[in-house]
Amino acid sequence: MAEAATPDPRWCCYFFLYDGSKVKEEGDPTSAGICYFYPTETAADQQDLLCGQLAGVCRCVSELSCSPVRLLRLRRRKFAVCTRGDFLWALGCAVDIPDISIHGFLEQLIGLFCFYNGPVRESYQLRSKEELAAQWGKYLSHLQGGATELHHIFSSLRTIDSTHIDPLLLLKAALILQACQRCPLVLAGCILYCGRVVSTQMPPDLTAKVLVHETEAYSQDLANGVTPTESNVTSIPVFLTPSELHALRCPPVDWACRSHCLPLQANHTKKSRLSREHYDPCFSPSPSLSVFGDAPFSQDHSGSCDQVLANGTLQPSMQERSGAQEQDEEILGAPLPAPPLKGENGEDCESHDNGHQGGGGDSDGSKRQDGCGEQGQPANEEPGNQTGPQGPRQRSDEEQLEKIDRQEPNDNKGGSEEDGGRKGEEMGRNTEHRLSGTGVRGVCSEESQNNERIQGGKTPPYTPALGALPPPLVAMALYQHRVRGLVLALLVEPNFQSDAAAMEEVHYSSLASLNGLEAHLRSTTAGTPGPPGGYTFAHHDCLQNTLTSENPVRPLACVTMRVSSRLTVTCAAAAVSRVACALRRPRALTSALTSLIAAAARVSARSQPVWGAGGPLERSFVRATSLLHSHFSQAVTLQEAIVRNAGSAVYGTRSTAQETYFLQQGATVRNSGVPNPQDSAFSLPSKARHRLLKHGVNLL
Amino acid sequence: MKCLLVASESVDLLFYWTDREFEQNLQEQYGVTHEEGHKPPAFEDRISTQFAPIIISCSSMIDKIDDCYTSFTTENNHIYVLHQFDECLYIAVNGDGDEKDEDLRRKIYVMKKLMEVHFGVVTLSSTHLRKELRPQDTDQRNRLWKKLQGLLGTYNQLREQDQSFLVEAVERLIHPTLCEQCIEFLERRLVHQINNSVERAGEEVLHAFILVHTKLLAFYSSRNASTLTSSDLLALILMVQNRYPSSELEDQLSEHEENTLVPEVFYTPEPSPTSGASGASSGEESQTPIFQFVDPDIQMAEDSLHTLEVPPPDPANPSRVFLEATIKEGFCPMMPHNMYSLQLWPGITLVLLTKIPNSQVAISVYYFLDTLASLEKRLSEGVEGSSAPRSPLPLHDLRSKMDKFIRALSVSDAQLVSQLQSTWAEFKHKAFSRGGPGVSKELLPCCRNMKMQLCGLFRQCFVLKSTENLQRLAPSLQERSLALVQEKLVDWKDFLLVKNRTAGQMIAPSFNVTDHSTSELGKGPLAHFIKSKVWSLVGTARHYMQKGYSTATFRDGDYYFCYFLWFENETGYKLDVIDLPLLPDDSAPIGMLAWDYYRKLLRYYSKYHNGEVVKCYELLTMHLGVIPSDYVLQHCCQLARKLWEPSRIPLL
Repeated sequence: MAEAATPDPRWCCYFFLYDGSKVKEEGDPTSAGICYFYPTETAADQQDLLCGQLAGVCRCVSELSCSPVRLLRLRRRKFAVCTRGDFLWALGCAVDIPDISIHGFLEQLIGLFCFYNGPVRESYQLRSKEELAAQWGKYLSHLQGGATELHHIFSSLRTIDSTHIDPLLLLKAALILQACQRCPLVLAGCILYCGRVVSTQMPPDLTAKVLVHETEAYSQDLANGVTPTESNVTSIPVFLTPSELHALRCPPVDWACRSHCLPLQANHTKKSRLSREHYDPCFSPSPSLSVFGDAPFSQDHSGSCDQVLANGTLQPSMQERSGAQEQDEEILGAPLPAPPLKGENGEDCESHDNGHQGGGGDSDGSKRQDGCGEQGQPANEEPGNQTGPQGPRQRSDEEQLEKIDRQEPNDNKGGSEEDGGRKGEEMGRNTEHRLSGTGVRGVCSEESQNNERIQGGKTPPYTPALGALPPPLVAMALYQHRVRGLVLALLVEPNFQSDAAAMEEVHYSSLASLNGLEAHLRSTTAGTPGPPGGYTFAHHDCLQNTLTSENPVRPLACVTMRVSSRLTVTCAAAAVSRVACALRRPRALTSALTSLIAAAARVSARSQPVWGAGGPLERSFVRATSLLHSHFSQAVTLQEAIVRNAGSAVYGTRSTAQETYFLQQGATVRNSGVPNPQDSAFSLPSKARHRLLKHGVNLL
Repeated sequence: MKCLLVASESVDLLFYWTDREFEQNLQEQYGVTHEEGHKPPAFEDRISTQFAPIIISCSSMIDKIDDCYTSFTTENNHIYVLHQFDECLYIAVNGDGDEKDEDLRRKIYVMKKLMEVHFGVVTLSSTHLRKELRPQDTDQRNRLWKKLQGLLGTYNQLREQDQSFLVEAVERLIHPTLCEQCIEFLERRLVHQINNSVERAGEEVLHAFILVHTKLLAFYSSRNASTLTSSDLLALILMVQNRYPSSELEDQLSEHEENTLVPEVFYTPEPSPTSGASGASSGEESQTPIFQFVDPDIQMAEDSLHTLEVPPPDPANPSRVFLEATIKEGFCPMMPHNMYSLQLWPGITLVLLTKIPNSQVAISVYYFLDTLASLEKRLSEGVEGSSAPRSPLPLHDLRSKMDKFIRALSVSDAQLVSQLQSTWAEFKHKAFSRGGPGVSKELLPCCRNMKMQLCGLFRQCFVLKSTENLQRLAPSLQERSLALVQEKLVDWKDFLLVKNRTAGQMIAPSFNVTDHSTSELGKGPLAHFIKSKVWSLVGTARHYMQKGYSTATFRDGDYYFCYFLWFENETGYKLDVIDLPLLPDDSAPIGMLAWDYYRKLLRYYSKYHNGEVVKCYELLTMHLGVIPSDYVLQHCCQLARKLWEPSRIPLL
């Protein structure tokens, strides 16, 4: 099979999107319903077989159980299945990947598509299958680019290695983001370096989405051997779900509030543990997170950040900004030509603005500010409040815990109503041009029409079996400012693109800082790994969705392209698979990559890989981790576990915020398995507690 | 919402079992989609219509990509587990969240085991099994299915309520003096008396045992008998329990499923074919038609009212059971026996297993089937070109034995014999004659045909016959035996029923929590909570064991759970752990009833310890989480040392 020809270890063996509405009559060929099939080289009859059988059997089971199929197992592989309206997605992988992980991957994949392309039905109405196939291929290869087998279990964000970076640089990154956010049209942002996250203001799932575009662009440059010298700015349309948007627009005071509710919520809905609602870096117990949570952290109560803010250097400009912004918006009610957009989505962006009546931007802006004011948020126009001693404020928040908790539902409700209104407006704008007046709930109504068509007027008892309808998406834009390997990515209101002044302001206010940050990051060399500690561990932060492991994920050798470990080899391999998928890359790229792979292969043959096809101990560790992670995801009350086979013992522990797995090497002496208090396996919890402290993992 | 069904590849429904909720659910759906239908079709037809797409898809997946579904999970957590045995597809469904994939898979394997115990070697041929499971006659089919439904229902109950079926181990009552006396009594008085009686009609008691509910009080095997495996013993206990449900279980059954059960029906002895009915019913242990249809439509459709009018069977009729036996004549995993279960008092049962005349035919049939199967395997791998130094095919041995076997065959069904003869003649012609194709792939159809004929012969001899010209221990002899044991145990009766401290192959405090019984853990919500924890711990431990872990501890909520598995030699010396075999997710469940995992594990372990008798022990504990884990481990250590001592009474 063609699978064997590609170099990367693909854990995804099949992925397809099947549109049941295209196959209704007896004579309709199954192939008419196949929107996308991966691997693309799969023979057509095989595609038909899998899609037809799986879709058919899923439908039958859904009817019997009045609920869509979620997981379908075969003897040799399993499929996570997602049904929305007539669409059915199935992601197939090896059976040893935990159920929860494969579902996460599938959701991520669909989320990515919708983020960059908008609603699926419309995308397939407006664009060709081939064009969208390239998109799916891109997201798939991105998701499969995980550096280690642990990434098959935890699809975590790739971050820069904070241990080798001056914390001041992280602070600086956070400040850049904060400065950008003062423009009311900017929702939130993140800073990425060489395809890795430096700092983000967004929840992890959204950061992960933004990261895809950047990683793609970066790896293309890397593969081309091109180091972009000039900084450039691009902007593409993106689509947010209402809940994502709500979370972004929610005033920062809610962060504190939400965090108080965190443990409770997490207990109730373990599935949505990674969702936006639980994202709160400030209250994350692990100090290792600081890389990530800097932006919100500093907004709320980071002392050092406050000092910077308190000196007032940034504040006046911001204040001017808001005033000027309002004026600008009034003036710029009519759309201006959008800045040159990247790629094929140009017409989409333009059309948002067509639907945008004069004054829309204004109302957006002012509403947002109003919202802040209502919430008693130290609003932008009050530098004194914002720069006030944040620590005490936070304490007082805690004192008023009950009060806030009581208020929270109201606050949220208020927020969502307001947001809802705005969403409706956005969506109306969004769908108007696409569906030529299908109304505000265009996406939704279209899907329900389909449903009615399927059901032929009858009301079967299994309506839910047809799957939850996708929430209507809201068009936004992703602004990216690239300085060599460094990228500032901002989620902005669509009219930001038409607001030349705002763009300029954001661009020039951050340009110098970005240049400086890039220079510093570039000069930071990848640290040498510490001496082996005789143990292996993996620490997953469920809130931040980051993974720390015994072999810390070092930054990609992006400039020097130094192939230094197994890790880099995998990255190179992942890049190649992208090429294989896209098939439209210049020949030069292929040859450059071929030499890279050859080099990588030489290195990996020499060095003892730490992960991947590693020694039996590592494999054993990954297997135990996978099993325990799966068990943790099923048993809400399970806190810790020790499992042992003849060769190794693994300790796993979790809280609502984190999961940690630990294996002590060489500790397995001859044992009989009979209970024995002297058994080294039972000392694993205390060993883990001590050993992991120096990695910033606190298990106490 | 539960269901289990067996279907053939041609979408014939071979068996089904559903609970009330599932039945209602299906009816509602059917009502909606087939509104225009004049008369609702029989439930049997509805269920097969609903599942048909899954069954068909399953076989096309096997055909096209040689892979098949093992399970589906829906968003509302309904689970469908599928398993294909030969040409029979088993589907088990749970929609109420109280069973996991593993539990459903276990249920499927248990169902298969029950069929093996009922139909023996016939299960090896899907053609004959289909005929056996789906008799043309509706009455007969209803009777058979109800019997199997009853057994499955009893299994569900036992699995939920009885600790010995939770861990699938035979539980013994520990009272050394009494046990010893009983064993001696069974040997010297009972078995001796029966086997020396002229009324035994050619049968010979091989095993005799006394059950107190599901627990074993005494077990005696005659000297020339093969060892009864734990798997078979558990299956027999299940059958006895189905025939004479323990009062606890009864109460729960009627409480728990009062909608499902019509209590009067529950106690009505199951009609079974008497003389004249060419029934497939192989025995009598079907007195509890647990899953009665309550919907009048269905009852009419299934004609089950009529069935109820048939007079009850003679309680002295034995059940035909097929059990593993290794005797000097050879090995047969499904050797026909007769089982007599005689109730001494409610809750206490005497069980006799007898060897039936002519049973050596089963050994021969199995030998031929086995030989033909390995020949088939060799042929399909390609025997001609293989230069590998393999053992020569035992063709000549097969030839002489088969010739002898067919000559000596005395079966009433002449047609069957002549068919077998002609098939064998064809086989010989192809394999041995000069002009024939010789030993090549062309022999494969002949092999299959031979196998089918042999299964047919087995069916004729042991499955169909068991209900026809019935041969059995004379009822008077059975009555005398019953009286004898009653006399012996009458003074102990109340003691046995009350004293419920149990031990044996499993040693544990009693967790059989019911509202009517006082267990050592008391009763009420806490006891039920702890019971559910213990039940789930066993499942978890098995799951980790399946993945190769022999030690596991969990801190879960307020509790700390430990699981240990270790090996010892006969002198009690603790042996080193080894890597347990890693089993795939869809492998047979770890346990003893359906698939004797532990026996295989010991065999696997013995490879590393040649010539040593290896024993395997498991310890499961549950402590309060506030106890420091050091103390927990110390306690586990002490338990491991102490607990096994009383179990040294010889069991079998």
